[in-house]
Amino acid sequence: MEAALKTSYTEKDHAPKPSSRPWFFTRPTAKTGLISWLTTVDHKKIGLLYGIFSLFFFLVGGFEALLIRVQLAVPNNTFLTHQLYNEMFTMHATTMIFLAVMPLSAAFFNYLMPLQIGARDVAFPRLNGFAFWVFLAGAIILNVGWFAKSGAPDAGWFGYAPLTSTAYSNQFAGDSSTDLWVMGLQILGVSSVIGSLNFIVTIVNMRAPGLTMMRLPVFTWMTLFTAFLIILSFPAITIALVELMMDRSFGTSFFEVSKGGLPILWQHLFWIFGHPEVYILILPAMGIVSEILPTFSRKPLFGYPIVVFSGAVIGFLGFGVWSHHMFTTGLGTMATAAFSLATMAIAVPTGVKIFNWIGTLWGGQIHTRTPMMFALGFIWMFMMGGFSGVMHSAAPADAQQQDSYFVVAHFHYVLIGGSIFALLAGVHFYFPLVFGRMVSEFWGKLSFWVIFIGFNVTFFPMHFLGLNGMPRRTAVYDGNMGWNSGNLIASIGAFILGVGIFIYFVVIVYTYLKGKIVSRDPWDARTLEWAVPTVPPPEHNFHVTPTIHARDAFWYQKTHTKEIAEENDKHAKEEESHGGIHMPSQSWFPIITACGLLIGGLFFTHHHFLAAIGGGVIVFLGVVGWAFEGPGGYHLHLDKDGNPTDSHGDKH
Amino acid sequence: MSFATTSRRLATAIAVASISLFTSGWLSGPQSTFETKGPVARSQLDVFYVTLWVTMIVFIIVAGVLAYATLKYKARQDDVDKPIPPQGHGNPFVELGLIALSIGALVIIAVPTLRAIWYTYDIPESERANAYEVNAQGLQWWFRFEYPSEQIDGTGILVNANELVIPAGRPVRVNLRTADVIHAFWVPKLAGKVDMMPNRGNHLWLKADEPGYFWGQCAEFCGEDHAVMRFRVIALAQDDFTRWIANQKAPARTVSVTPEQPKLQAAGYVPLVNPKRNAPGYTAGFDADPFGGWKRMQEVDAGEEAKLALDGRALFKEKTCITCHTVRGHDGMGVNAPDLTHFGSRTTVAAGLLENSKQNLHRWITNPNNVKPGNKMYVGVNGMSGYIKPDEKGDMTIEHIKLNDSEARAIVEYLHSLK
Repeated sequence: MEAALKTSYTEKDHAPKPSSRPWFFTRPTAKTGLISWLTTVDHKKIGLLYGIFSLFFFLVGGFEALLIRVQLAVPNNTFLTHQLYNEMFTMHATTMIFLAVMPLSAAFFNYLMPLQIGARDVAFPRLNGFAFWVFLAGAIILNVGWFAKSGAPDAGWFGYAPLTSTAYSNQFAGDSSTDLWVMGLQILGVSSVIGSLNFIVTIVNMRAPGLTMMRLPVFTWMTLFTAFLIILSFPAITIALVELMMDRSFGTSFFEVSKGGLPILWQHLFWIFGHPEVYILILPAMGIVSEILPTFSRKPLFGYPIVVFSGAVIGFLGFGVWSHHMFTTGLGTMATAAFSLATMAIAVPTGVKIFNWIGTLWGGQIHTRTPMMFALGFIWMFMMGGFSGVMHSAAPADAQQQDSYFVVAHFHYVLIGGSIFALLAGVHFYFPLVFGRMVSEFWGKLSFWVIFIGFNVTFFPMHFLGLNGMPRRTAVYDGNMGWNSGNLIASIGAFILGVGIFIYFVVIVYTYLKGKIVSRDPWDARTLEWAVPTVPPPEHNFHVTPTIHARDAFWYQKTHTKEIAEENDKHAKEEESHGGIHMPSQSWFPIITACGLLIGGLFFTHHHFLAAIGGGVIVFLGVVGWAFEGPGGYHLHLDKDGNPTDSHGDKH
Repeated sequence: MSFATTSRRLATAIAVASISLFTSGWLSGPQSTFETKGPVARSQLDVFYVTLWVTMIVFIIVAGVLAYATLKYKARQDDVDKPIPPQGHGNPFVELGLIALSIGALVIIAVPTLRAIWYTYDIPESERANAYEVNAQGLQWWFRFEYPSEQIDGTGILVNANELVIPAGRPVRVNLRTADVIHAFWVPKLAGKVDMMPNRGNHLWLKADEPGYFWGQCAEFCGEDHAVMRFRVIALAQDDFTRWIANQKAPARTVSVTPEQPKLQAAGYVPLVNPKRNAPGYTAGFDADPFGGWKRMQEVDAGEEAKLALDGRALFKEKTCITCHTVRGHDGMGVNAPDLTHFGSRTTVAAGLLENSKQNLHRWITNPNNVKPGNKMYVGVNGMSGYIKPDEKGDMTIEHIKLNDSEARAIVEYLHSLK
């Protein structure tokens, strides 16, 4: 039987011979160097690319925030002009949401999710690479305005019509900044939707044997929910952006007031995307924290089914509360009441998660290592952001808070104290997995405390500023309004926070170069991603596709070593008899296609429509090449020590 | 130290902290949402307090448990060899209990919330007969206020700008409109904000308990000068309000020149020398008693120079100010810019940004772009040229209006004579 299997597989071509194809269909095979990165389909490399670029944009967005805080440090300041200030807060928000937190979450999805489900890669590896390059194209288009005469986008990250119409954003000269913003977001949306579809297909289809849905690590669950939120919410903003683009470029009147357009329509479309977007930013963070807390408490997550289920409930309810961003737009009593109550309802599944995290700590053995410090900081700060969120849900109170600094305080507690703290925790936690090195406890904890203190000094006073009537998005304020000391303290805090982030990144870079080398599983972790044979993980992730017997799969492996070893031996033989470890081939076409989007997008925003069509042609050729280069793929064969040899094309 | 002493000290510390926050102005500024002066803002504050107390109590309990768990179960150095803790997976009864408690806490918030949503939305039925109605229109970057029940023969309804005057003690319905982008009407001490949406008729209501002077500001990002789009609301006792309306309905005041009056060419103030961009336009003297300041502005200036004001009136026409500004009874029918018929009685200039002193007015009209960059008086609006206009290429390079020092003084004197 075994012999028969072997023959049937070895006699088959699994990819055409390289020599039989035209040169442009030759699949690149470089495993190191620039080409290996440009053509990569490895989910780990793509995860790293996401990580590096999102952290870069995180620093850019942070720099913009510091400029904002310098301007607001004292009343009647002239550090930034009104125009530059407006560009600054628009780009700070757009950058942090779309170019920092979302892609950093995507970095974790890419790197961890296939490892957590015991897969060798995602379902569509080339598409995964494409999603990244498209993200980069969108990021470039969004930021290119800084270097152009028109300046950066300046209509706010929410881009409320009709401020984005040519009549108001394009007062005198050919101002293309809003076009750049529209095109940049549109292209980033393409990236997010593609990436999400890939993750959904991967999680549904490529789980290791025995990994039932109710055994999925919580982070993978949150990846799945986030991916669904993205594919369901992005169409709304895609439509809104297409309509806006049509208004601006071709004179349609979706939002054009003088022709009977309805600006309120933009707000509904934007927030039916924008509110799920909030959960797109926070659910991955909750997933990371749900991995870290059990590890450092040395016990399983408390109430796993309820944590998972509450994530789903948050996802569902997240689509029914968008108008709480619009309580002041004159919705009328009934709609206001309905959205008010729905918003309160969403506090329940969110609160449940906090209870479960505390339940996880209860009765455990809590090791307060650096990632755990960030995770605990997350619970505290997210709780405060959640409570000020409940205050907003009461619409009459929100009438005083909306568009004031109280809101600024609230969502920074959720997004920095929540998302960013968890992502920073994740970077520390997974650093040994990704790079095989560990951050020094002293410097890691120092950066945590400086960040924690700086963050609170910055944002806590903003609650008072808002309640004392200071509106958001104001470039300047008078010194007689009672806002001076609050703003000065916030600005000082921003610089403390900046120092903390600086320490954090210096420590990370130092650790990458010279940090302590560790063997696998330095934290005594519980989930499958730590079951890789080496750190960093080999290209094929696992020597043998693991079989899952319990929810905390790696914990089970560690407590049942003999059983697992026998099982692995058996499965290794089976896989070799199927032709070896099947791996995806690299490809040039994802990056070529994404370049077409970049070129087309840039020309379109400057109304060079013929040249934009040229970009479209590149996209078309890229897709055609992608289709006709074939599925590719090659096999790895492992020797006794786990060292792989490739077999490309041809027969085995 | 006993628990009782600790908690007493803690309570004292919290009390001292909150009092010092109030006294240091952290919650008592001119736009404080805590120092409410009307029933709408008060109702909104009451709801806020409910949310505050409920969330505070829940926070203290949850945070207490979190802190306790973290400290109690923290691993010690000598725990290294301790056996791993029991691998429990949770307790459904604890979960369900906590969910029920959270829902209970939210119901406590939901009930007053619903009540206040209906109360703050429109004037209660019982008070509607007594209500006064005004229209507020947002424009980049100022507010136009209309008084639809105050008809002026042959002209239409009474209009002013940037300072809304209302009767105290009466509910006021404010119809909210916009001429361009979205703005929001926000007078924190009287009522929370409602947006002014294009192609949509919004409204809010408010009531000032007592006569007073209130700060307001646009609260929805509306473009370059959003930060400096401000306004004031002045609430007057009914008698004063009736008198004010009567005066406002009258055409603009014309100064009378008598032979005895000396002919001066310079009004008695020193213009600011190259004031910095964003330089403050407020004074402690005015802020100490803004309502008194407003009343003083209703009186004719003691040292008024009639001849100079007449020169100013001519210049106001000559410099094409009248294409956008109306001074009813004098020249000008423009509606693109604030109605200036009774400009001299207003306390602010440049949409609530600067106190309406001669010095500040001089600063504003000689270099508006420095006070409020990109404002429509400077760059022009609706096809009307401002201080600059576009060249053939469409770049704004051609100077259209320029005021020298003596011209500015004349116009200042004229505008201040419009009581």
